[in-house]
Amino acid sequence: MLETEATLEIQQLVAEFRPGNADLLRALHKVQHRYGYVPKEAMGVIARQLRLGEAHVYGTATFYSELRLTPPPEKRVDWCSGPACRLKGSTHVRKVLESVLGIGMEENTENDKLGLHLAQCNGTCDFAPQIWVDGKVVGPLTAADTVKLARELKDEAK
Amino acid sequence: MAKLTINGKTVEAPDGAPLVEVIKQNGFYVSNLCYIDKLPPYAGCRTCLVEIEGARGLQLSCTTTVRDDMVVNTVTDDVKQARQYVLSVIDANHSDRCLTCHRRVKCMPGDICLRDDSVTHRCLTCSKNYRCELQTTNDLLDMGKDSVEPWAGEERTYYEAAPPEPDRGNPFFEFDPQMCIICTRCVRACDDLRHTGAVTLAGRGFSTAIAFGAGGAIDESNCDFCGSCIDVCPTATLMERPNKWLARTEDWVSTVCNSCSVGCTISVGHRDGKPVIVKPDSLNPFSDDQICVRGRFHYDAVKQSDRLAQHLVRSGDNLQPTTWEEALDYSVEQLAAVHAAHGAKAIAFLGSPIATNEENYLVQRIAREVVGTPHIDFSAGPVNRAVAQATAAAFGTETLPGDLTDIPERAKTILVVADDLEESHNVAALRIKDAIDPRKLPLREPGRLIVITARRGELCDFAEPYGGVWLQPTPGQEAGVLGALASLLADDAEIASAASEAGLDPAVVSAADAGSTGVDGAALEHAAAILREAAAAADEAFALVFAPKSTGVAGVAESAKAAANVALLVSGTAATRSFFVLPTEANVNGALDMGVSPDGDGKDVNGILEAALGGEVKALVVAGDNPIMHLPGRARVQEALAKLDILVVVDQLLGETAQQAHVVIADAPTYGKDGTFANADRRVQRLRAAQAHPGDAKPAWETLSALGTRLAASLGNAVAFAYEEAADVTEEITRTVPGYEKFQFHGYFGWGKGRAVDESAAGQIALQPVAVDAPAPNGEGEVALLTGRTLYTSLEGATLRLADADKLHREDGVLVNQLDAVALGISAGDNVVLQDGAAELSLKATLTADVPQGAVFVSSYYDGGAVGALLPAENGSTAVPRVKLVKQQA
Ligand code: SF4
Ligand code: SF4
Ligand code: SF4
Ligand code: SF4
Ligand code: FES
Ligand code: FES
Repeated sequence: MLETEATLEIQQLVAEFRPGNADLLRALHKVQHRYGYVPKEAMGVIARQLRLGEAHVYGTATFYSELRLTPPPEKRVDWCSGPACRLKGSTHVRKVLESVLGIGMEENTENDKLGLHLAQCNGTCDFAPQIWVDGKVVGPLTAADTVKLARELKDEAK
Repeated sequence: MAKLTINGKTVEAPDGAPLVEVIKQNGFYVSNLCYIDKLPPYAGCRTCLVEIEGARGLQLSCTTTVRDDMVVNTVTDDVKQARQYVLSVIDANHSDRCLTCHRRVKCMPGDICLRDDSVTHRCLTCSKNYRCELQTTNDLLDMGKDSVEPWAGEERTYYEAAPPEPDRGNPFFEFDPQMCIICTRCVRACDDLRHTGAVTLAGRGFSTAIAFGAGGAIDESNCDFCGSCIDVCPTATLMERPNKWLARTEDWVSTVCNSCSVGCTISVGHRDGKPVIVKPDSLNPFSDDQICVRGRFHYDAVKQSDRLAQHLVRSGDNLQPTTWEEALDYSVEQLAAVHAAHGAKAIAFLGSPIATNEENYLVQRIAREVVGTPHIDFSAGPVNRAVAQATAAAFGTETLPGDLTDIPERAKTILVVADDLEESHNVAALRIKDAIDPRKLPLREPGRLIVITARRGELCDFAEPYGGVWLQPTPGQEAGVLGALASLLADDAEIASAASEAGLDPAVVSAADAGSTGVDGAALEHAAAILREAAAAADEAFALVFAPKSTGVAGVAESAKAAANVALLVSGTAATRSFFVLPTEANVNGALDMGVSPDGDGKDVNGILEAALGGEVKALVVAGDNPIMHLPGRARVQEALAKLDILVVVDQLLGETAQQAHVVIADAPTYGKDGTFANADRRVQRLRAAQAHPGDAKPAWETLSALGTRLAASLGNAVAFAYEEAADVTEEITRTVPGYEKFQFHGYFGWGKGRAVDESAAGQIALQPVAVDAPAPNGEGEVALLTGRTLYTSLEGATLRLADADKLHREDGVLVNQLDAVALGISAGDNVVLQDGAAELSLKATLTADVPQGAVFVSSYYDGGAVGALLPAENGSTAVPRVKLVKQQA
């Protein structure tokens, strides 16, 4: 692996961590804190630093939902996957979001301006079915509402 | 031993053995979709439920260990039903409905499923149909018969989701996760059987999936394509790509891999005379259930149509087809003419380290008994004889009794002296990792590893993190580092006195200095401390693994002596069992044992070529060897061969030596032969034919015995070569070659187990002085040229200089240190030129930190051994060859 500037920077970032010291999560968090996500190169650097297989690092990084492997979107839309929303038709909301925005859960639009995230119930089931736009609850939503909202979001994200 | 009852039958098993293995070993069936024999249980699939008297509820037989008086039942209705329900949960996520279908045997792949018209992927169209563990498990649990169907009445949700993308991006495997049941066997095979860790369980919950490396393609991960994960995958998710959609095997033949001296035993599945798949065969207990990418995937490196199918005879500039009879008669006539005109000593013979014992035996018989020439050798002879001589001088015998299986089983301290053992002798490196990082049951105590190599390899990562150390000498200073280690050991009062008691003279090795070896003093002291501990713990096994380079006889000889000294200081008289030499090619030891070495005033291969240049040697018979490819100083070799009156080559491929020959007699492919090989620890193993002979090709033993008979007749001496089959030659070997008496070819008993060594031999041990020259600095614009056997390049493919000799194209270039590259303005992928005088080699540069600064590395087999043109002919110097490195101007 040729050391590019980016990998050198990551190397410095994780230089304090040691093999066999349960440092993997700390290293991943530190990288995510710095870049907002865990870039692919970082997994290689961390693997080497901690003498782990890259696959081991990847497996860990994908296990924890707070770690992400793609850059965070500028604007995040959380779709609630909880039971109350589900009963009130959130599946339609999801289908609309995915088809209008053209991305799936945990994906970003190509310019990273907008991203979809599968969320768990946050207790505001009164507004079910709902989504959160940058953390702000929007609901209850009908399929038609969602189409409108999704189109607006899409236009903004151009 | 525990006595227990399984389904009413009383059986015995070691206390604490996993119940699931005991059940299987005693001929009972138990589904176990996530278990891997010998590894700790994972307990993820829950299909191995059994009833144990006195236990509450059903128990997992993989997590249960046997004890005395246990009463186990695997066949009650409760057990069966429980397992059926568990299996139906697994089936629910599998893309197939044939599993429970009574029509399966009637359906053909092209038929539309009569039960469910949305079914597109199914057993009938699956490449693993009828060889699939998941399918068999469903059958044996009567899932169809009892109609346990997870999908009964279900909306077809499974088929609504798009299947995950398969990975077909590399030449060796296909990974099609739509069939994956997340048993994680592949993850554990890669972690625990291979210590590679290229596979992982990614994500969580319903989105859990198997992933390679950092989630990309397999060939972007650190997977080295050993295929261990394929062997354990119970579904069609991981399969051998060359085999996946190919004809099924007609039969399996047990033979030996021909690609290094580990001698892994393999089962070759073949059809219509062609190998179509290879699996490990545990006859050789050292390789056991593992092989490497070469053993598994190099069987088809050369197409049958690219092999020699005709015998050839030279007519002017061309080689023209001829018959076997004519080729033989012409050879005999020419050899007899040389004999008559110039005497026996004008004729020389080369055997081969990739030819069988039988072929090598016949070569030397013809040379000695028929012709009466002492000039017998093979290209790898000088290097390996130098090692054998150093070994014999150190231990009193060159056929050491040490058994390689001691390494994974007992060795507590392991010292490896090799270029990159992971690449040259993959499964040996694996067994060393087994000792350092034990994962198999019963767990042994971990050992510690010291690696001496100038070039970083994977094994280096198993040193320091596990309490060992990697000593990185300046290239060419391996003997120097070993010398410095020996001297540090000899300075220890206890070691010195133990050595003296064992009859050694520690003064021979003292006062060597580590100064110019380039090794860090603290690291050296750390290594010495580990070795001192090993010496003090006399009851603990020590192993020194030495894999000699293929060129540079003088340097190899000094390294061998220095390595033997270290082994002797650590283990004293027990060192004969701790010193392991791993030659590069598969049957080097066999060739040496058969006597493919010069007699008395006979010349070795370099001498023979010198003599050919000087006109004293006029005729050369080459059986399976390719000196142009394997010897350094390629131009001189070509020139010498061109001077011969007659060059007879018996070979499978038209390599470069054969292209210069006057007669080429086509040999059968190695996997189409009967015979034997002796591997690194002289396990004598059988080759059995699994491949048809292309065209007129005949196994070399037949050609050689006919050549011997006819030549004897023509020279008027009464030597008989009366063999009906290869087995007759083997039988003669067992009567005449020392160490081989214990084998009987016709009684297969003992093959693969016996080793051609006298295990009780106790020779005279001695320390030897080692001559180490201080490293010369690189000249202006020069770098040290390192070469070695790499993992992916097929010897056969390289012999024909095929563009795909390394199918992954990882090794068809030169490795350049990244800092050197920056200084020279070389970027990855640039073409660079290596120059030595008039000889030049243009190669694509790969930048790396694994090669030390001031050095470059080229695979010794790249492009037919092209790097041999840059290596000086053997000249008695221990210096590392230097070449100029320049960036090629576009
Ligand atoms: S993997 Fe096995 S069970 Fe699955 S479709 Fe293929 S043959 Fe059938
Ligand atoms: S082939 Fe070998 S190295 Fe590659 S993933 Fe499978 S087990 Fe691991
Ligand atoms: S790829 Fe095969 S071995 Fe690996 S988890 Fe899937 S089914 Fe099991
Ligand atoms: S380790 Fe050697 S003998 Fe074993 S499969 Fe690999 S090349 Fe063949
Ligand atoms: S289920 Fe959606 S907010 Fe609770
Ligand atoms: S084999 Fe026992 S749980 Fe899978």
